[in-house]
Order: sequence, then structure tokens, then C-alpha cells
Amino acid sequence: MNSYKKLTLVDDDEIFVFLTKKMIEQVKVIHLLNVFGNGLDALNFLRDKKNDADLLPEIILLDLSMPVLNGWQFLEEYTKLYPIFGKKIIVYVCSSSISSTDINRAKSINEVSDYVIKPITIDKLRELVKF
Amino acid sequence: MMGETNHKYAIDQPSIVAVTDEKGIITYVNDHFCEISKYTAEELIGQDHRILNSGYHSKELFAELWATINNGSAWKGELRNKAKDGTLYWADTTIVPFLNKDQKPYQFATIQTVISGRKKGQVAHKETFEELSHYKYALDQSAIVAITNKSGIITYVNEKFCTTSKYSSEELIGQDHRIINSGYYSKVFFKKLWSTILSGNVWKGELRNKAKDGSLYWVDTTIIPFLDKKNQPYQFVAIRFDITKRKKVEAQIKLSNKKAIQYTQVLESKNAQLVDFCSIISHNLRAPLTSILMLVDYLEQTKNKSERNEVLVKIKPVVNHLLDVFNDLVEAIQIQYDTNLVLEKIDLNDCLKKVLVGFDTQIQDCRADVQIDFTQAPVITSHQKYIHSIFTNLISNTLKYKSPNRKLIIIIRSFLKGKNKVVLSVSDNGLGIDLVLHKEQIFKIRKTFHKHPEAKGLGLFMTKTQVDALGGKIWAESQPNKGSIFFIELKHINT
Repeated sequence: MNSYKKLTLVDDDEIFVFLTKKMIEQVKVIHLLNVFGNGLDALNFLRDKKNDADLLPEIILLDLSMPVLNGWQFLEEYTKLYPIFGKKIIVYVCSSSISSTDINRAKSINEVSDYVIKPITIDKLRELVKF
Repeated sequence: MMGETNHKYAIDQPSIVAVTDEKGIITYVNDHFCEISKYTAEELIGQDHRILNSGYHSKELFAELWATINNGSAWKGELRNKAKDGTLYWADTTIVPFLNKDQKPYQFATIQTVISGRKKGQVAHKETFEELSHYKYALDQSAIVAITNKSGIITYVNEKFCTTSKYSSEELIGQDHRIINSGYYSKVFFKKLWSTILSGNVWKGELRNKAKDGSLYWVDTTIIPFLDKKNQPYQFVAIRFDITKRKKVEAQIKLSNKKAIQYTQVLESKNAQLVDFCSIISHNLRAPLTSILMLVDYLEQTKNKSERNEVLVKIKPVVNHLLDVFNDLVEAIQIQYDTNLVLEKIDLNDCLKKVLVGFDTQIQDCRADVQIDFTQAPVITSHQKYIHSIFTNLISNTLKYKSPNRKLIIIIRSFLKGKNKVVLSVSDNGLGIDLVLHKEQIFKIRKTFHKHPEAKGLGLFMTKTQVDALGGKIWAESQPNKGSIFFIELKHINT
């Protein structure tokens, strides 16, 4: 059993990425696999590795507001892709939006495990990776 | 005697015979009299003839009767008598005075024939007639009535017709009904009406007519054809009710409904804007705040000086960014509330020239080919500042999202669409936008579609807001890696 979990960060906010990286360093059980600044790049990566479970992340932290392909558009494609993956991947939507429209919409998607409102603290991060 | 008996018998058969003295006291009655009046002869003789009075006739009638017979003339008339049991009977009555030497009547012979059956029919007729006149009165009070012959010539109008149409009956009778035609309906409409009534059917509908003074009135109309024995209409009775007030109310309701729909549409669009603003606040304002918060948190927890410095320098750009978003928002809101836009004639060549000056360096650097064609609509009437801003944003986008693989060609045109619309278009051969993915979002705030460092996502949102404020439309056609073309349709005020 792996002692750490691989995390993919899909977010275009440089500050958030910078600080999340710092937190991940402190939470010993996570290994930051990769960071994508938009949904399309993330999707291309997942498609590329869909048959190789070891190279896929266990956790995805997904922002909603992004260029090129936003979080929702990513999820639309991701749900189609998910059955092909040979492993369980947990998706957390992680957004600064506190709009109930966004929260309810995210929670209505089966492949989304939870909706996390930014800012996230190191304690929250620890909680998210405990499963 | 025999002769007298025979004579009496002959009269007795169909007739009621009574003889009275000069004061009207019965001195003789025949059997038939008793049979009809249900009195015995004994009960009658010695009585005044008034015993049979049914109270139906006027005093004047009896006065005239007495005057006639006292004058020595016979009286003829129809009287209603009352029998002993209260039943009434009508009798054709002849009263003959018998005169003495002085030519004064000394007795009267009354000869009556019962005519109850006939009289009943007449009374019924009279009653029906009276009832009909009541109906006519009621109808005349409430309805506009006209009768026309089969060629449509007016033969009768009631008073209400005259007061409503403001014509006198003399002006109307002999005229075609078209005298009150308001010209509102087609020939086909009247053709249908005529074919309905000529075939013997009742026509019902609402008509708008024109009074003599030109004022219009609405009538709920029923036209009833009167048919002869061959089932052919020989005249038409038109009964109309003035519904002008109702029509006015209906028109008002229609208008308020239309207004309500318009208001609803405005509300819906305002609501959509509110949702947009909610999303803007939730994402675009809260995001940088979150960043600041996380940075400050990190600062509090970190003692390492170099790390602190690394984080410190990140704060200011986020604050600046937040300020930018705020300013953008305020500007967008101002555009939406700026309802009194000054419209003026804009020479598109002049306007574009000023815009292009700002991009001079960029255009020269990439050797972009800018083609301008305003020949179809060189001058438009619009708000100078917005047109300038719209061109600026669209041209800035063409430069920002040019393809690295080919020389940029920008084509800016204006053309007419229909009689009262003008379209401005800006096209390029740049990176393009995947409209399948971004169709609903291209004009929203802070949506960017390229990984360009300067992509702020504000340009198209602002352009759309300005076009909306001008009452125009904006749309785009685009193919990834081939280029985009943006269209702006505005009202064209022809001068």
C-alpha cells in the first residue's frame, strides 16, 4: 500500500497554486503529481494516462473559473472518461465561489466527492486526504 | 200566431234575444239567452240589462250605445257579457229601438250572436301584439335595430341607431348599409357575411362602424334573415349592441398585457444580469480576496525571512488585480445605467483612425495587414465613446490572439442590413475561439479562452455591455486556429 497519495491540481490562480504547494510539502502523505492551469490540459493528461492506473492521481482538486476549459466543462468530459479509469479517483471542487448555485450544481455530479470553499487551510487539506 | 212563432223560432236558433223597456229593464228573454247567460228567464225579467255587464267595456262605450239607441238608431257592436257562473262570452250585438208615434223609443230588442271563439282569437292576437310592442320597446331601449331589404337598403332604423350613428332616420332610410362602414374590414369579410345571411343563416360578429361625424363605434351584431315561403330572405333585421366601451377596455387590457410582457422581459434580463453579478462577485471578487487571506495566513505562520519576503511580494499584485476587477465592475454598471447616451454622426474612417493610432507599434511589430471597407455605410449615428471603445476592444483582441504561424490580416467593414440596420464587423485570421465550448460565455466578464498573459476577460464583456446600451446586437463566428469574426448590429438612422 502506498504511503502517499498523488494529487493533481487544476487551477489557474498562481497564488493558490503556490500556497497549496507549500501546504502539500507540510502534509507528508500527499505527493503533488502535477498542476494544470485549465481544464483542457488536465483532461488531455488524464486521457493520455487512462490505461495506466499507477500514473493517475488519487485526488483531483478542481477549480471552477478557469480559461480555455472551465471546471464545469472539465467535469462534463471527465464523467464520460471516468468509467475507463481502472481506479478510484476523488474529485474535490475547490472554488472561491460561495454561490449556492455552484455548490448545488457541483454536489449533483456523482463524480464530485465534495465542494470545498477557498481559502483552504492546512487542516482542511489534511482532512481531505484522509480516506 | 203561427207566423209569429215561426219567425221567433228562426231568430231563436242562432240568436240570443232580449227585449228591454226604455230604461233597459228586461221584459223578455228567449231560451238561447237563458242557455248562454245561465240565468233563468225569471231571474232575468225585471232586471237591468247590466246584470250581464262583464265590466270590460268603458263607460264611454255604453254612453255612446245609449245615445245611439235613444236617438232612434240601431246600435251594432261587439260586447263581452258575463254569465251567471262568471264565464265570459263575446256577442255580436244589434240593439234595435222600437219607436212610438213621437219617434221616441219605448222598448229595445237586443239580438246577439255568440262570437266567443272568434273574439278570443282576436284578443289573443291583440295580446300578442301588445306583448310584441313591449318586446319592441325593450329592444329599442337596449339595442340598435335596423331592417334592410334583400339588396341591403335600409328600410327601418330605430332611435338608438340614429343616436349611435349620428345620422337621422331620413338620412339612413333608402341608403346602403355601407354608409356606416368604417373601412376596417376586407371585402372578403363582407362577402362571407352576405353569403351567410343570403343562405338564410344568422350572422353574428363584432363590427366597427363609423358614425356621421367620423367617430368609430363597436357593435356586437346579429343579423337575422326573414325568410319567405320559399325560404328566400326578403329582409334582414340587424340587432346591434354598442360595445365600444368594452372594446376600449379590451384594447387597454391588451396594451397592459403587452407592457407586462415587456416589463417581464426587462426584469428577466435584469435578473440574468443579477445572476451574472452574483457569479462575478462570487468568483471574480472573492477569488483575489481568498488569495490575500491565504497569503496573510501563510505570513503569520512563517518565521523564515526569505520565505516571508517571497510571499510578501505576491500580495500587492493580487490587491491591484482586485482593484482592477472593482473598477471594471463599476464601469460596466455605469454603462448599464447610462441611459441618456448622446448620439451623433460618426465618420467611421475618422473614428477607426484614432483607434488604430493606439495600436501603431503593435501593428508594425507584427506587420499586420489592416483592411478597411466602410464604403457601404461610411457614417453612422451612434455614441462616439462606445464605438471607439468597441473598435479598440475588438482590434486589441485580434492582436492579442493572433496566430504565430501566419501574418495577421484584420478586416474591418461596415454594411447595411435591411433599411434600418447597420452592421460593423471585425475579422481576423487568428487563433479563433471554440464556440461549441464557449458559445454562452464569450461575452461574460472575466472569461478567457486562451492562455494569454494579458487575457483579462474584460474586453468582450465590456463590448457587449456597450452594444446592449446602444440597443444593438453582438455575435461572433469563429473556428479554432482559423480566425474569428465579430459582428455588431446597430440601429441605422438614415440622414
